[in-house]
Amino acid sequence: MVVGDVTTAVDVLILGAGPAGYVAAIRATQLGRHVTLVESGPVGGTCLNRGCIPLKALLSSTERYQQARATDLASMGIHAESVTFDWTTMQVWKQGVVERLASGVRRLIKGNHIELVVGTGWFIDAHEVRVEGEYGTHRFKFTDCIIATGAESIPYEGKKAVTPEHILQLPTLPQRISIVGDDYIALELATLFARLGVKITLYSPNEHLLANVEPAALRLVQAGLRKLSIETVALKHTERTIEDEYCIYSRKAIPNTNGLHLAELGMKLDANGGIAVNTMQQTSIPHVYAIGDCTGGQALASVAIKQGKVAAEVLAGQRVQFAPLVTPLVVHTTPELATVGMTSAEATAAGYAPVSGRFPLAANGRALTLGADNGVALLVASKEDGVVLGATLVGPRAGDLIGQLALAIEMGATLTDLSEMLYAHPSLSETLQESAESALGKAIHIMG
Amino acid sequence: MQEFKLPDLGEGMQEAEIRRWLVVAGEAVKLDQPMVEVETDKAVVEIPAPIAGVIAHISVPVGAVAKLGEVLVTFTTTGNERVPATAPISPPISSVSTEAIRQDEPMLAHSSATNGATQRRRVLAAPAVRKYAFASGVDIEQVTPSHSNGRVTIEDVRAYSERVAKPTVASGETHSSAMHSVTQIEPREAVRQATPATGQEHGASEERKPLTGLRRRIAEHMEHSWRSIPHATSFDELDATELVALRTLLKPVAEQRGVRLTYMPLLLKLLLPALKEFPVFNASFDEEKREIVYKHAYHIGIATDSPEGLLVPVVRDADKLTMVQLAKQLEHLVAGAQKRSLTMQEVAGSTFTLNNVGSFGGSTGTPIINAPEVAILAVGRVQEKAIVLNGSVVIRAMMPLAMSFDHRVIDGAMAGRFLTRFKTLVEQPQQLLLDML
Repeated sequence: MVVGDVTTAVDVLILGAGPAGYVAAIRATQLGRHVTLVESGPVGGTCLNRGCIPLKALLSSTERYQQARATDLASMGIHAESVTFDWTTMQVWKQGVVERLASGVRRLIKGNHIELVVGTGWFIDAHEVRVEGEYGTHRFKFTDCIIATGAESIPYEGKKAVTPEHILQLPTLPQRISIVGDDYIALELATLFARLGVKITLYSPNEHLLANVEPAALRLVQAGLRKLSIETVALKHTERTIEDEYCIYSRKAIPNTNGLHLAELGMKLDANGGIAVNTMQQTSIPHVYAIGDCTGGQALASVAIKQGKVAAEVLAGQRVQFAPLVTPLVVHTTPELATVGMTSAEATAAGYAPVSGRFPLAANGRALTLGADNGVALLVASKEDGVVLGATLVGPRAGDLIGQLALAIEMGATLTDLSEMLYAHPSLSETLQESAESALGKAIHIMG
Repeated sequence: MQEFKLPDLGEGMQEAEIRRWLVVAGEAVKLDQPMVEVETDKAVVEIPAPIAGVIAHISVPVGAVAKLGEVLVTFTTTGNERVPATAPISPPISSVSTEAIRQDEPMLAHSSATNGATQRRRVLAAPAVRKYAFASGVDIEQVTPSHSNGRVTIEDVRAYSERVAKPTVASGETHSSAMHSVTQIEPREAVRQATPATGQEHGASEERKPLTGLRRRIAEHMEHSWRSIPHATSFDELDATELVALRTLLKPVAEQRGVRLTYMPLLLKLLLPALKEFPVFNASFDEEKREIVYKHAYHIGIATDSPEGLLVPVVRDADKLTMVQLAKQLEHLVAGAQKRSLTMQEVAGSTFTLNNVGSFGGSTGTPIINAPEVAILAVGRVQEKAIVLNGSVVIRAMMPLAMSFDHRVIDGAMAGRFLTRFKTLVEQPQQLLLDML
C-alpha cells in the first residue's frame, strides 16, 4: 500500500463485515463480482464477536450449571456434589467459540478471494469512498457499494452504566446487576447472570415484558424469571433509584451511519439515522445499497443475512426482494420462548377470525423423558380456511422447533396439513401437531 | 364482507374476460343491477349483482381473464345477506397485509411495511413462488390459483404473466405494494427480456397487439381444433338450379309473413334428412374416453361473421322448426351476433356446423371443424356455370361444397356418401315433401 491519495477502482465495495456484509460479499462473489470488504474491527460484526454468539455461548454454559445444580437431577439418580463454576474459564470457552466461528468466516472470505481492507470508510461522493486504515487513507471508486455498518448500543451516562456487549466481557462477576429493558436481550442477560447467583433487578420500561407475546406464554417465562429470583419492576411504578454496581441498558441500537457522510450525498435517512431502502435494499442513491442494522430496522442477524443476499443478487442483475412473511424470534430464557407470525390478538386486529390451538408439554412424552415438562405449543390459524398465521412455543429447543412453523406459515400450510403429516414419536415436534389438532378440536392427549 | 365469484355461465365455461365494469368501488348497488360485462369464448354476458350492497373492492381489472370461481368483486353488505347459493360459497376475504404479520416495530419503515397498510388479501404461495412472481414483475395478489387448495403455484404465475399484456409490467400498474416504494428501481434486464419487442425497437415497420377478447378465443379454439383433430376435407359441387327456383318462388310469400328468406333456412332443412340418415355426422368425439357421442338433438351451428370475428350461433332443435321459423330464428341469431347480444344458450351446444362461405365472398374454402363436433359443411357461392348435362352444354346454377370431417371417426367413403345424399336433396328439394308430417 502506498500512503497518499491514491484511488483504486473496485467493482463492489462493501462497508462492514458483519453478518450482512460478509454474506453479501460471498454471494456477490458467487455471482461473478469482485468484492472489496472494508472492516475496522474483527469480521463477523456485533453478532459474532460481541452479541448473539457470546451471549448464547454463556447462556448455554450457565444453563448447564443451573441444570447440574437442579434438585430434579437427584430424582433421576444423579448426585452432583458441589457443582461450581469459574467465570474466567467460561469467558475463555465463550471466546473459543467466537474465535472458531470468526476464523471460519475469515477462511470463507479468503477462499472466495474477497479483498479484506482494514479501516473505516466514508463517502467522498456517490461513486467514491475514502477508507482510513492502518496504512493511511485510500480512495476506492466503486461500481456498486453496499453499506453494512450495523448499529451500536449507546451507553447511558453514568459511571456504572454499560451496554449488553460490555457486561459479557466483565473480568469479574458483580454481586448485583440492574438491567433496564424489556426486550429479549434484557431477559437473556437477566437469566444468564441470575443462573450464576448474581442478584438481578429487571426494570421494565413498559407494563409488560416482551411486546406482542401471547399472555399464556409470557406467564411461563415470567415464572421462570421468578424461579431464578429475578426481581421485575415496572419503571413507571417505582421511585427507586438504580444504584447497583452495574446497570445494563438494553434498548434499540442506533444505526452506525454518522461518520459515513451520507447526508452530504443527499441519501434519505430516517430520524435515527437509519438508511432508507426499498425491498430490493436500494437506497435513494443509485448503485448504493444498505443492509442489516444500519437500515434502522429490526436489529436481527437473520434479517441482516437475508438482506445481504438480496443486495448482492440485485447488484448482480437479479430481480429479487427482501420479503419474508414472518420473522422468527427466540428468547433463551428458562423455559425458552420462540414466536413466529401473529398472536391471536394480532390476528383479530388484522381482520381474521382466529382459532387457537394449545398443547402443554406436560402431555408430551418426549418432554417428560427430557425432564422438561414446563412449556406449551400455541398456534393461531384463520378459522375460515385453517391457514396457520402464528405460533408461540415455550419449552426446550423452542428456538429450533419454531423453524417448522416459520416454514408452515411461509408455505401457507393449514392446520390440516400439520395434522396429516407424521412426526417422530416421541418428540417435541409432536406438540405442534397436537396443538394443530386441538385447534381442530381433535387433540388426543388432552381433554377438549 | 361478501365475495362474489365468477359463476358458471354454462357449457363448460372455464374462464371469462372482463370487458367492462358497470360499477365502481364504493358504489351502492341494487339486487340484480348489471355489474360487469364479461366475455366468454361464446358470448358477452352481463352479470347482475347477486345482492344489494356496497362494492368494496373490484378484484379483476378490465381486460384480465377471470377463472371460474375467482373472486370478481367484494361487497360490504348492509344486512345479513349472503351471496346466493348460485354463486360458489366462499369464506369472507381475509384482509390483511402480508407485512402485518409480526412487525413489532416497523422493520422497513420507509418501504413495504407502511405501504402495505392498505387492506390486501394474503396470497397463499410458497416463498419460491413469491420470488418467481417478483422476478417476473407480477403482483402475486393478482394471480388466481389454479388448484382448489388456493395456493398459487409457479405455473399460475407464469400463466398470468403470459396472459397479461407484457408492456404494462414495466409501467408499474401490476407492481405489488412493495414495488410502489421502489423509488428508483432500474428496470432489470430480466424484465426487459421478458417484454416482447415493441414497435419502438423496430421503427414504425410493424406494430404488435396482443390477442384479446373474441379474437383470442377464436385463436384458442381454432388452435385446439386444428391440433387435436385430424382433418380431411371432401369437395363436391351441386346443381342448385332447383334450389334457386324454389327460393325465388317462396321468397315473396315469406316476405308477406314478415320473413326474409335466404338460402340458409332452405339448406338447413335439406341438411337435416342427411344428418338423420348418417348419425355419425351429428355427433361429437370424446377425446378423453375415446368415445363417439351420438346426438339425438339437432342443434345446428351457423358460422356467422361479427364485427369482432367469427361467431357460431346455434339453431336449437332445427328439426322441429318450420322453414319460416328457421328463417326467423336465423335472422334473430345473425342480428344478435352483430350486436354481441346473444345468450349463452344461443351460442353453445351445436351438434353440427353449417358454414355459408359464399356469403363472405369466396367461392369455397376448407372449413375447420368446430370441436368437439366431427364434421362441418361449407357451402360456397352459387354461380351460373356452363356444364355438360346429357351431352350438351347448359347453364346451371352451381354451388361448391366442402366438408371437413374428423378422420378418427369418419372415413372418406362415408363423407362421400353423406355429401352425395345432401347433393340429391338440394338438387331435388321437392323430396322434402316425402318425409313431411
